[in-house]
Amino acid sequence: MTYIRITALLGILALSACDNRSTDKSVDRGVNAHHVSTLVAGIWIDPDGCDHWIIDDGAEGYLSERSTPDGRPVCSGVAQPNTVVGPFQAGSPIPDVLF
Amino acid sequence: MRTALASAAIIALGALGFASPAFAQDPRIIDSEEYIPGIWIDPDGCEHWAMDDGTEGYMSPRRTRDGRPVCHRSEICGVMQSDQLFATDRYAISAEGRAALENFFRTANAFGFLIYGHTDSRASDEYNITLSDNRARAVADVAGSVGVRVVDMRGFGERMPIATNGTAAGMQQNRRVEIYCLR
Repeated sequence: MTYIRITALLGILALSACDNRSTDKSVDRGVNAHHVSTLVAGIWIDPDGCDHWIIDDGAEGYLSERSTPDGRPVCSGVAQPNTVVGPFQAGSPIPDVLF
Repeated sequence: MRTALASAAIIALGALGFASPAFAQDPRIIDSEEYIPGIWIDPDGCEHWAMDDGTEGYMSPRRTRDGRPVCHRSEICGVMQSDQLFATDRYAISAEGRAALENFFRTANAFGFLIYGHTDSRASDEYNITLSDNRARAVADVAGSVGVRVVDMRGFGERMPIATNGTAAGMQQNRRVEIYCLR
């Protein structure tokens, strides 16, 4: 009985601590709360010259690969290796059919 | 301190049997903590799993089981029907096609281009890989001639159809060169 009460107390403390202990990790909680889909990226060029999306979201940082449609790395040469550029302008939502 | 308390709470809940009850019957699947990601879409239109864990952030590309990134078609900025550019089994671009391509590359306002050739399923796989590779290269040469950057270029032959090869109309759609713009 005492054990259960302590467990409940710990749970309340964890919730009130304003930490992201929810199982839903898609939202940055607390000050400047926002969904992760709203993040704006730059490009980091790795030492091999290939592109990665890089996001500095205050307390959090994110890094993820930029890929070709068949899954190979994109090595665009946009800047020198070991540097960062951007954020880049987003593409148009509508594909142009040329002919 | 917060982390320690939260961990203690999670361990305590786990000890009471609240963790992943659905998998509890199979001893080969270990108890796990639920982590549900959000989806972030990069400027190319491709999806990434993103998780914010308080003071840490995690991200990884979403892929199909065969390794391709999961993307939205908005990333394709130009699709050319091969029939408008090339004669059957050839990879020399018509004068009219060249002029249209030059105009496209000059006005696309992109940093660089990915150029991929595709065919229908007639003839052998090997033949189609070579043909589509040559056609992608011909388009890339036009890009080079107007001074824009080609980042990647290759032919996929008949391996990535966008329509059925069972009808003439479907095969015509599959004969194409796709251009992706990097901005």
